Amino acid sequence: MNFELLKEAIIKRAAELGVTDYEIYYESSSKSSAETLGHEISALNSSEAGGICFRCSVDGKMGYASTQLMEITEAEELVERALENGRYTEKDDNVGIFEGSPEYVRPNVNEFKALSPEELKSVALSVQKATYGADRRVVDGTQSQVESISETVRIVNSHGLDLSNSVGINVVFAEAVVEDGGEHQNDYIIKEYGKMSDCELAKTVVEGALSKIGADSVTTGKYNIVFDAVQMRTILGVFTGAFSAKTAQAGMSRLAGKEGEKIAADFVNITDDPMRDGTPMQAYFDAEGVAAFRKDVVRDGVLVTLLHNRETASKAGCVTTGNASKVSYSSPIDVKPHTFCIEAGDYSEDELLKLADHGIYINEVKGLHAGANPVTGDFSIESAGFLIENGIKTVPVKSFTVAGNFFELLRDISALSDKVDIGFSGIGAPAVLVKNMSVAGK
Amino acid sequence: MLEKRLLEDLLSIAVSTGADFAEVFSEKTRNGSIRLLDSVIESIGDNVVSGVGIRAFLGTKTVYASTSDMSKESLVRCAGSVAAAIGDKNIKGSVKLTEKIFPNIHPVSVVPSSADMKLKCELLKEACGAAREYDSRIVQAMGMLLSVDHTIQIANTEGLLTSDRHIRTRMAVNATAADGSEMQSGSFAPGRGMGLETFELFPPREIGLTAARQAITNLTAMPCPAGKMTVAIENGFGGVIFHEACGHSLEATSVGTGTSQMCGKLGQKIAGDKVTAVDDGTIPGAWGSVNIDDEGNPTKRNVLIENGVLKSYMVDRLGSRRLGLPMTGNSRRQDYTFEPTSRMTNTFIDNGPDKNEDIIASIDYGLYAKSMGGGSVNPLTGAFNFAVSEGYIVRNGKICEAVRGASLIGTGAEILMNIDMVGQNLATGQGMCGSSSGSVPTDVGQPLIRVSEITVGGSK
Repeated sequence: MNFELLKEAIIKRAAELGVTDYEIYYESSSKSSAETLGHEISALNSSEAGGICFRCSVDGKMGYASTQLMEITEAEELVERALENGRYTEKDDNVGIFEGSPEYVRPNVNEFKALSPEELKSVALSVQKATYGADRRVVDGTQSQVESISETVRIVNSHGLDLSNSVGINVVFAEAVVEDGGEHQNDYIIKEYGKMSDCELAKTVVEGALSKIGADSVTTGKYNIVFDAVQMRTILGVFTGAFSAKTAQAGMSRLAGKEGEKIAADFVNITDDPMRDGTPMQAYFDAEGVAAFRKDVVRDGVLVTLLHNRETASKAGCVTTGNASKVSYSSPIDVKPHTFCIEAGDYSEDELLKLADHGIYINEVKGLHAGANPVTGDFSIESAGFLIENGIKTVPVKSFTVAGNFFELLRDISALSDKVDIGFSGIGAPAVLVKNMSVAGK
Repeated sequence: MLEKRLLEDLLSIAVSTGADFAEVFSEKTRNGSIRLLDSVIESIGDNVVSGVGIRAFLGTKTVYASTSDMSKESLVRCAGSVAAAIGDKNIKGSVKLTEKIFPNIHPVSVVPSSADMKLKCELLKEACGAAREYDSRIVQAMGMLLSVDHTIQIANTEGLLTSDRHIRTRMAVNATAADGSEMQSGSFAPGRGMGLETFELFPPREIGLTAARQAITNLTAMPCPAGKMTVAIENGFGGVIFHEACGHSLEATSVGTGTSQMCGKLGQKIAGDKVTAVDDGTIPGAWGSVNIDDEGNPTKRNVLIENGVLKSYMVDRLGSRRLGLPMTGNSRRQDYTFEPTSRMTNTFIDNGPDKNEDIIASIDYGLYAKSMGGGSVNPLTGAFNFAVSEGYIVRNGKICEAVRGASLIGTGAEILMNIDMVGQNLATGQGMCGSSSGSVPTDVGQPLIRVSEITVGGSK
């Protein structure tokens, strides 16, 4: 059953039931991957999945229903279920279904080419071979995986809007397990295919694992901390909800009502750009079909705007920032950034270390889903990295927590590195120096 | 569900190039969600997940393909892609399936997907209303009522054809408390492998009050001091310590690939003498229970650790081949898009010999972790972390002031040996556990325990 036939069935049923304000949101994805263990391919996976969400205005409320079952009878029931769900929904919907933006600018990226099954296997084996070859201390348990992922989102609505966006990415994952003197350590790396050679990937991940050998905890106390770019964007990712007007309007963000106020150090700039150069997962419209665009969220430390969808903008008396989102096709409309990034500063990472003088360089944070509170900003997270002594990285350290509050951290940033790292989730940051943070160890 | 004849054909195709085993997993799941915010029903979600996953084995090599397109042509194509990827022989043969239905030990009284929507909305309003009424400083109570009605069918080349229907219900309330610029939150999210009768065990009002009480406690709590200390961890969700510190390292997923700290330790002493730990997927109506696992094996009660000695891993079919150990009914997956692997079900430290009051009285200075958040672990090194969502300082054997922002870190090997007192009030807490086969419902549990020394990460 293809989408066009289902779409027609849904439109017909909607007309029969007198539904005039509706949207059909279709999401399909295709994934294939190859995994290695030892020196062989251990697993090959592939999946094709698609789902439809139908939402419609019902007496001033919004009703939703969704399905992966691509059958005509199911398509018809979808309209009935959405109507029924809308009748029990109590929140007023003041904006309805979107009529369309005046103009849409498509991203300027090359068409995605998924790796073939043979290529997936060949790349996985090649990365695995390079990882084993990088050091004699690499042992079994070492794994590589290569995955091709592509997704298409299509929005068709009762106002004649018909938008479609397809994105894709080939990803290489490598995990090195090393053993030295009876101690096992591991490290992993995830990169877009083609961004690093097999040897570079292998060298990075093996050096990462080896550097942890012999690590000890640190003495409890206050330390100057340098978070590398990956850890900083990981921490930022936990707290992006605070920049959502929906969260703020629910009274669950400390940034509520802070537009125009200083919320970060003077030199901190945060942008949200749906079509940022070099990012593979670009989108030219949001989950309501609003044209997406680049915006400053924080400029020179001042909060310029929260992120809005049409509903939160209507409540706040402003215009949407094109940040309507859905976690998956079946989710209600929410708010989320596209590519959300703390922009680079002026210092090289070595200069950050010099500025820190004495402290800890953190290149691993874990368990943020538990150790960080997105509402309050409080965090206490398991970390690992290196001691900084006289401005350089020295011995490896592990098994300590670094604690603080994200909103205070934004204000307390002393310096930013000159290079950002953007993850596949669309969150980016440079390395940062924050002085005098609480560390708990031995 | 798929016709027996079609399943036989799909399996025959999947092994036609030399695979020594194949399996077809078919699923239809109805997920319901009602969300409450600002005291009104904000949205009602209603999603049907439907699809098929086909897997073939050749020794320990696996190929897995899945599709949401249930047409015969698509499924034949899917089986063909599995066959093409696993081998290059040309073997003609047929598979004969015999249907086997395992007894349902998790009966449901009120099926949520067919219950009155108004009633479900009222249950949620009752919970969030109670949270708001608890204290004027509660500024938001967000609630979710979630239900899953999950039907699976499994067929394999050993001739097994079986199916099962599993229903789960859960309510989550997150309360936000504010006083001036200070803001804290509290949450409670109990669930059961049952229908709406879940709320006879957990009255909605109590769910809301528990979340609100925690938010208000945290609002007035002081930042937690940091450092090594003795910690008493309360029952229920406190069992996440075992889940993270040890449970994941006992899954064949990591043991079978040599990436677990527990490799080769069967029969060895790995925990304090008072520690007996169990994974039991057969507990009637429990959150992590199922009649059969996602490979069609009935779930079991597996004693993992007995008086400190490692007795068993949790083993799926692939893990069984890798380790040469029998399967334990622990194969699980989020849905048909994931290849199943060994996962926990209801995992807990069993009751021990100590009286709860003696455990608190034994601590001169330490932390009483009344309520825990989630955590994570590196199974290779055993390094784990987890968050304390409600904690108190213990001084001279007495529970004193509340503290917030604490987390506990350590390694599984050392923490298990440091559990030196085990109480008698075993209870469980519900979680969604994320791993390579997706997010699956698991119960964690324990009685009150004492850990003689652990690193507490705090902000003071």
